[in-house]
Amino acid sequence: MNARILRYLQSDWAGPLLIIVMGGAVIAALKPTFLSPFNIQVLLLAISVNAVIALSQMIIIGIGQMNLSVGAIGGLAAISFAGMMQVWELPPLMAAILALLIGLTGGLVNGFIIARTGISAFVITLASLSIFKGINLGITKAQPFYHVPDSVKAFGNTVMFGPIPWLVLPMVVTVLLVFYLLTRQRVGRYILAVGGNLHAAELSGISVKSTIMWAHAISGILAAMAGIMLVARLQLGQPSIGDDWLILSFAAPVIGGAVLAGGHVSVAGTVLGVVIVAIITQALVLFEIDPFLVQVVLGGLILWAVGMNRIREVRFQKSLKRI
Amino acid sequence: MTSLLEAQNISKSFPGVKALSDVSIHLAAGSIHALLGENGAGKSTLIKIITGIHRPDSGNLLLDGKLFHFSGPREAIAAGIGVVHQERNLIPRFSIGENILLDRLGGYLFKPIDYESVHQEAKDWLDLLELDLDPRTQVSQLSVAKMQLVEIAKALSLKSRVLLLDEPTASLTSHETVALFSLLKKLRDDGVSILFVSHKLEEIQEICDTVTVLRDGRNACDSQPMANVGRQDLVRLMIGRNEQIPNADLRDHKTEEPVLELVKVATELGHADINLTLRKGEILGLYGLVGAGRTELAKSIIGRYRVTHGDVLVNGQKAKIKSVADAIDAYGIGYVSEDRKQEGLILIHSVLDNASIPIWKRLSARFGFLTDREVIAAINPLVEMLEVRTPSLQQLVGLLSGGNQQKISLIKWLAANVHILIVDEPSVGIDIKTKAYIHELLRKLSDEGLSVLLITSDLPEMVALADRILAMDQYRVKGEIVNNRNYPEVSEKIMGFIHS
Repeated sequence: MNARILRYLQSDWAGPLLIIVMGGAVIAALKPTFLSPFNIQVLLLAISVNAVIALSQMIIIGIGQMNLSVGAIGGLAAISFAGMMQVWELPPLMAAILALLIGLTGGLVNGFIIARTGISAFVITLASLSIFKGINLGITKAQPFYHVPDSVKAFGNTVMFGPIPWLVLPMVVTVLLVFYLLTRQRVGRYILAVGGNLHAAELSGISVKSTIMWAHAISGILAAMAGIMLVARLQLGQPSIGDDWLILSFAAPVIGGAVLAGGHVSVAGTVLGVVIVAIITQALVLFEIDPFLVQVVLGGLILWAVGMNRIREVRFQKSLKRI
Repeated sequence: MTSLLEAQNISKSFPGVKALSDVSIHLAAGSIHALLGENGAGKSTLIKIITGIHRPDSGNLLLDGKLFHFSGPREAIAAGIGVVHQERNLIPRFSIGENILLDRLGGYLFKPIDYESVHQEAKDWLDLLELDLDPRTQVSQLSVAKMQLVEIAKALSLKSRVLLLDEPTASLTSHETVALFSLLKKLRDDGVSILFVSHKLEEIQEICDTVTVLRDGRNACDSQPMANVGRQDLVRLMIGRNEQIPNADLRDHKTEEPVLELVKVATELGHADINLTLRKGEILGLYGLVGAGRTELAKSIIGRYRVTHGDVLVNGQKAKIKSVADAIDAYGIGYVSEDRKQEGLILIHSVLDNASIPIWKRLSARFGFLTDREVIAAINPLVEMLEVRTPSLQQLVGLLSGGNQQKISLIKWLAANVHILIVDEPSVGIDIKTKAYIHELLRKLSDEGLSVLLITSDLPEMVALADRILAMDQYRVKGEIVNNRNYPEVSEKIMGFIHS
């Protein structure tokens, strides 16, 4: 029994969960409005979109790479989604599917070039970030698409019941699918295997190249998903969607215990990381603190998280009872 | 006898080194075939060519008499060739079971992996090796020996017709080795063809039916029946001489001052109770099997890892070596790494820049100003003295041959004027001529007063160079041998210490 509790405490999500409960309690005690239904609804809206963004990056961290173009892919998918509904008058579902395909394509392009050339993902996605963003601005001329159908607007802004917005639905489905992918699907295990020890994975007969392509394709779809959700929430196809995703997309998985060298990520930890970021952002608003501090706090949070991960890693190595 | 797998006249070059030339080997079904050779003889390269990791420059590979050419490990696995490589190749955060069945996890799109059956099947393979491990255990919790056994289980699980084992017993206990051997014999009787690489001649003679010996990338013998060759023959084939150790003088340093002493030293890596005395002008050998903790001890001495207990004395004074920079600047201790390409040299920098790194601090004038002229003046005489073959000092080190790279690694420390030099596997990946040269050089330098701590897995090299030898096993010093250059006698004593 005790061993089981200990194991839970050592898991990736225990620390973040503790922070959320304690931090939430402190904020609620000082500002009771923190737990008001409206405030919870606002929190959940932010968490829903950000969780999908974070998962998009988390997959690539899992394979031991970085994807700087998460925001650019998401932005391109977002304006395509809004644009197709406005200009071609496509039904929302059709437009969403096509936007997801655009995300998939963007991810595949990244994955293909990285796998084929062996150039670091950092550089390739830095370049593709610029390309995707450029296409975005070329299409929109930096002007938003305003005519988003009411059904989409409603999906992004109404609640299912109580304070639970509809946007939570795609987030929960995505989280479950990614969890299932990484724990029970061959492709998911291969992504972590390649991230854990690329050489060993290759010698075991895993095709490293196609695994890299898979990871980036999934990352692209998730980024597009987040873009679509954001269009619904903002009620317009804003060309700047995705510009501010990058820091969050790394912060949440890292807070959730992801190893940046690859091979180990936690879906639950990443979602909790998103929750922590949302609570901090919200708290700063509630306490009327200058919003520039959000950036500072977020940066500090990343440093703290990687520091904690490092300490845990060292302790883990030392504590290993080698059989 | 027909061959199941055959390699004919394989040649392979890497930049600066001819790894294999005209090598042939014939593996018969239902036999265990020994592949022997010293470090750098080309055994691992041959295995990597058979499994499609490297492409041969010329020569043929035949499976069942048919030409084949694998473009990667996947195809080799599909063709029924299983390998246990010398390097550990497991995913640390995955379970034992998942590692064993990694390429056959099942679970197509939307169909989940059935971990119950994965672990059940893995358990069967572990049982075959008499391994009492839970297949759900994370691999990162295993000792090196257990990891090696898991890798063997993984290769077995492929039900390969050809099984290539690159030093499978290097870190196994004798009990584990016995279990492995009985299994290998059973596989042989089932018709599997096994290629067995090892340095332990007793093992090889016990279990192998045929033998191929490589020396300097060539066949010293090709697929001979083991019954026809004795132990002496094997050694002669491997090292090309009848265990004749060059007639170096026996030197006695008992009266010299100790320059480096370890007294009951323990380290954060797990060394315990290490006592060692290195005297002026002496070459002290540290011998042990892979994983004995020799390199780790060397790195602890130079401050890379922490010494947790005991005293380190340099020139009779207690030394507090807190970092590698300390070791070089304050105590004059240099370390030539066994891993030249990763730890020893910066391959994409020039000869001059590599050789002079440790002396930049000393040569730089006020405000850290460093002139090329001074650096060249310090390095050039050494480059000439050691006869480094390089077109210029500006040549990139990565473009030199292994032997010349090793010379640069030595020059680095000679220029830094260290008085204690730790040399780790000085002749890995270098040609036989340079090897002889480096031996001569180390002996000459020690005659001139340099104290050398020599780490090598190459026993003939150890016997040829060291004045005294410490045998290490499991992060402890097991015993000391005064080297009388009599190979059989010394090797007997060392093995006695290690296996006791």
